[in-house]
Amino acid sequence: MMIDQDTIEQFVYREARLLDKQMFEPWLDLFLEDAIYWVPAGHDDIDPRTHVSVMFDDKAALTKRVGRLRSGFAYAQEPASRIHRLVTNVVIDPPSDDESLQVSTMMLLVELSRHRQNIHSAHCEFSLVRSGDAWKIRRKKINLLRNNEVLESTPFLL
Amino acid sequence: MRDIASMIRTDAVHRDVYTAPEVFALEMDRIFDTTWVYLAHTSEIKQANDYKTTYLGRHPVVVVRLEDGSITALINRCRHRGPTLCQQDTGNSRFFRCPYHAWTYENNGKLIGVPLPQGYGKTFRREEHGLVPVPRVAVYQGFIFGCMKPAGPTLEEHLGGTKRYLDAYCAVSPTGEIDVFRGMQKCVYNGNWKYQLENGVDPYHVGALHQSAVTPEAMKIYKQGRGNVLAVDGHGVTDHTDWGPMPVDGGLSGGFNLVLFPNLIVLRSQIRTVRPIAVDRTEIYTNVVRLAGVDEEVNIRRMRDQEFEFGAAGTFYTDDLEIFERTQEGLKSSAVEWIVFARGLEREQIINGYVAGAMSDETQHRGMYQHWKELMTAASAETAVAAE
Repeated sequence: MMIDQDTIEQFVYREARLLDKQMFEPWLDLFLEDAIYWVPAGHDDIDPRTHVSVMFDDKAALTKRVGRLRSGFAYAQEPASRIHRLVTNVVIDPPSDDESLQVSTMMLLVELSRHRQNIHSAHCEFSLVRSGDAWKIRRKKINLLRNNEVLESTPFLL
Repeated sequence: MRDIASMIRTDAVHRDVYTAPEVFALEMDRIFDTTWVYLAHTSEIKQANDYKTTYLGRHPVVVVRLEDGSITALINRCRHRGPTLCQQDTGNSRFFRCPYHAWTYENNGKLIGVPLPQGYGKTFRREEHGLVPVPRVAVYQGFIFGCMKPAGPTLEEHLGGTKRYLDAYCAVSPTGEIDVFRGMQKCVYNGNWKYQLENGVDPYHVGALHQSAVTPEAMKIYKQGRGNVLAVDGHGVTDHTDWGPMPVDGGLSGGFNLVLFPNLIVLRSQIRTVRPIAVDRTEIYTNVVRLAGVDEEVNIRRMRDQEFEFGAAGTFYTDDLEIFERTQEGLKSSAVEWIVFARGLEREQIINGYVAGAMSDETQHRGMYQHWKELMTAASAETAVAAE
């Protein structure tokens, strides 16, 4: 079966839109139970077992982050930031086949919080796995352009 | 600007302490240029010729492990025309060469290469143009400190009664040794550096600000625990060892938080360094601590918890950063001059020779601000004596 570029683009656009619209629960449903969500610190190619990261969450941790954002007591997101995620340069990389895909995107995330606009540029790497007639995320890795710089508070999901 | 001494009352601190650029400039001169400032952990420069770049107050410095194993710290600034030399966070090199005119130094600071030296004439002496060393560098339990003042209290005198907490922090490791994972979490906020020092030893806020992040079990430490806050030789401690010893897994349970004035915070799995940039801007650098002699999966768990709770995206720390910025905004109002630190003034006691309060009290903050006042007024006292 041909891997359909358009289907994959729609998938990553939808993933970004769910976060923009704070639809965290359907966003979590995109992730496999053993998924990893990873934002390296320092540089893109660190070993997360020997080098600290900005975030390294399994699905349980991601679910807890969402629960916190929904609690009404996450003061760093009261009110929630307004965020636009622009996703582009969608490329399907090898090794990819009918059952699993490596997808690379570029993301420009513009956040408005407390009257201040913050910009994050990132190269995102998705590992996707076929689940019936849909795709699920096994791993999302977000390589921030500024991952070795001081970061302002980032209390939202990238 | 009002008189410095009058900015610190027993029960309150004046807003100028957090908002006046003149106060910030004086802090750089009278605190960061006179007292012991944390620079690095020995495990970040383990091998001969390893170095780490950092800041001592306003001074860019490079901390170096020399060939003989000793540690030095040099002002990271070419003696010729001034550029910084080392650009990397960490590295390994026997030499530092300035790319501008290729002046070259050994990693002990000695100037060994000047292109076209005859141009400087006969009076030029290379030995007078080595990299400037930080006058004093000392290590306690692997924590490396530098002091810009050649004389004065030793590091151990500066640490005073906090030494036993640093001892206890390392003793959590079965071998008594700790090191740090590679890399740092780096954050910045638009607020004064002292909010972070206060917040590092502030059990009172945990149940309120962090209610979305603290588990009900951990909340008991604050609601039912009988821990103490202590003012220890000008530094701050919150001691909740009543709830258990400092945990191997780095979780929020027993143990203590330590704030070493002016720029080091040690708690749970982290060594947090405070770098003041301006009166209303501060950078925070955090290392995650590994324990030698424990199962590596336990160390990884320490790091994963740290990443979940702290750093720029942490479930605890983002709310702290939010409050630091809101505080800077609130203090812009001159209609309210004082920040209140009065909790527990009427129930202080002496524990192990130090003034202590109940878990939610502000004794530790009062101690740090007395230390601040002593340092900030000491220099003017010296000037006054000299003028007589």
